[in-house]
Amino acid sequence: MNPAHSIEAERLSRRFGSFLAVDDVSFHVEKGEIFGYLGANGAGKSTTIRMLIGLLTPSSGRASVAGHDVASDPEGVKAAIGYMSQKFSLYLDLPVEENLRFFGGAYGLWGKDLQRRADEVLELTGLAEHRKAITGALPGGIRQRLALGSAVLHRPSIVFLDEPTAGVDPEARRSFWRLIRDLSRGGTTVFVTTHYLDEAEYCRRIGLMVDGRLVALDTPAELKRTWVPDRVLLVRGRNLTAGAAALRARPGVRAAEPFGAGLHLRVDPAAWDGAAVRTVLEASGGEGVSVEVAEPTLEDVFLAVVGRGAEAQAAQEVAP
Amino acid sequence: MNAERRPARAWIQYAAVVRKEVLQTLRDRRVMFMLIFAPFLQTLVLGFAVDFEVDRVPTVVADQDRSPESRSHLRRVLADGTLHFAGGADSAEQGAAALDRGAAAVVLVIPPRFGSDVAAGRPAEVQVILDGTDPNRSNVAAGAVSRYFGEESLRRAGERARAAGMAPPARIEVVPRLYYNPGLKSAPYIVPGIAAMLLVVVTTLVTAMGLAREREQGTLEQVAVTPVPASVLLAAKMTPFVFIGFFDVLLLVTVGTWVFGVPLRGNLAVMALATLLYLLSTLGVGLLISTISANQQQAFLGGFLFTLPAMLLSGIMTPVDSMPRWMQWLTYANPLRYFQEIARSNLLKGGGFADLWPQLVALALFGTAIFGLAAARFRKRTG
Repeated sequence: MNPAHSIEAERLSRRFGSFLAVDDVSFHVEKGEIFGYLGANGAGKSTTIRMLIGLLTPSSGRASVAGHDVASDPEGVKAAIGYMSQKFSLYLDLPVEENLRFFGGAYGLWGKDLQRRADEVLELTGLAEHRKAITGALPGGIRQRLALGSAVLHRPSIVFLDEPTAGVDPEARRSFWRLIRDLSRGGTTVFVTTHYLDEAEYCRRIGLMVDGRLVALDTPAELKRTWVPDRVLLVRGRNLTAGAAALRARPGVRAAEPFGAGLHLRVDPAAWDGAAVRTVLEASGGEGVSVEVAEPTLEDVFLAVVGRGAEAQAAQEVAP
Repeated sequence: MNAERRPARAWIQYAAVVRKEVLQTLRDRRVMFMLIFAPFLQTLVLGFAVDFEVDRVPTVVADQDRSPESRSHLRRVLADGTLHFAGGADSAEQGAAALDRGAAAVVLVIPPRFGSDVAAGRPAEVQVILDGTDPNRSNVAAGAVSRYFGEESLRRAGERARAAGMAPPARIEVVPRLYYNPGLKSAPYIVPGIAAMLLVVVTTLVTAMGLAREREQGTLEQVAVTPVPASVLLAAKMTPFVFIGFFDVLLLVTVGTWVFGVPLRGNLAVMALATLLYLLSTLGVGLLISTISANQQQAFLGGFLFTLPAMLLSGIMTPVDSMPRWMQWLTYANPLRYFQEIARSNLLKGGGFADLWPQLVALALFGTAIFGLAAARFRKRTG
């Protein structure tokens, strides 16, 4: 195992009966990075996590987490990681501090150590004032922070977060991600699944799963460059019709469509930028021209990736 | 700064789970009620209500003879308290109607000319019509009637013999001497049985449902990704129930002694050991049920499907000896049977290790087997 890697998965597969939930997946996660794992529901995200944390044995392939092989040393894996499941799974009938005490004890924390760590975590997650509150009485956003706090009590080198912000309001999501970034800055590796694509922008690298296969893996910027190669430009101004026709005739312009009072352009980013477009439009009589570059989003990437996956599958089905 | 003395990791984990279980149990009023107050209440209710003694059986008499002789017999047969006068009737049919209505369980018919037949030394008959719905009660009532008239015929035969100048016929008398429960009270017999039933209901159901709830709510998975070994988790989860089980037995024995006069003749160490081994079985069954249940409802049904037949096939209410042979074999696989035998023998007869070791060994074997099987399944399911 490369010492700079916290997680390595090699040709990992998991089969349930005839259903291949995870199909030949290989990747690594570097120490201290926030690694996002994206995909639709049922794409195999949770199954991958469950294999990595030692809850499920792989059907084939191997993976090691924090230097422990998941198949032969699941106990070593468990001691090294923290896990926050998709479903809130602390004890709702116990007070906040009793949940921390229990999970701290489960990881072998004891006495003053446990007390100190629990206080730190309550401070970190902003839950100090809720320490005596019954967990079930807290709002969803606060519970999620508690669950994260409980997962990092024992200072694991890696935390696995399975859809940690599902069903949480936007403000609570933002404060939750602030916590995740703090953890990562402190050197903790974060492996997080989500289907909120705006959240995925916070990740250093992203893996995209479609139907059990890992079809794309890179930094958000690189993914956008690869999967959404065109630059989208939003143009406003008057007398743009002639200019649009002129642009369409030039190489590197893939589309120029009227959009409201303006234009919507898709261009090759290597050949075109805002200034070049404005020059052409003004030369054709355009007035008051302003050009805005619309950054491609991960949503565009996701749609492109899923579309490609569907095409590949359709091709496979047609092939004899 | 001096370092704290730090216990072994497994002990820290054990203590954390026990603490959590105790807090959860204390917070759950329904479970507390089920574990502590309900056994107390049920002992009292069952102790008073379960009564195998039969008396005051409602009896309708149809005296068709209406002689001083018949009236005197009727008065005397009703005098010992087993039968209780519930009205008169003119005919056997009218009496049987009272049976139909449920107004009587026995009809005693004295036919016409009964008095004159008896006086003349001719054979005379008394008819008894019984409601057989409750076999035990009709047996006791029929017994009371035939005992009275049997003794009466003997007495008459003796008188006639003496009048004829002959020796009266020899009488054979049965002299019963009752050991252990001389008053033939039901409560001292039934209370140890109640202990066996309550423990199985309380511990099996609470364990099965508690674990099913943790599985349902996902907390079991959260615990399964911690490094707590399954063995430590199970031991810690069972610990509070062992204490509660002991508390319940103590409560039952105390109530049994003070309220129902259960004698404490045996060595209570035998009772304690039996309780521990019995709990191993009942908790093991609860755990096993939880491993085959997806949710709390299934666990509850599963617990019920085990506890009810186990109680019926234990010899607590009906003696094992009077069951069909194949069912008797089944009772050997029933921990309730052994615990019930130990509890009754120990408390009522003073049975000790020397008398009860076969039952103790059987309980230990059953408990180890069932708990081992359940733990293996549990480990497999939680990974």
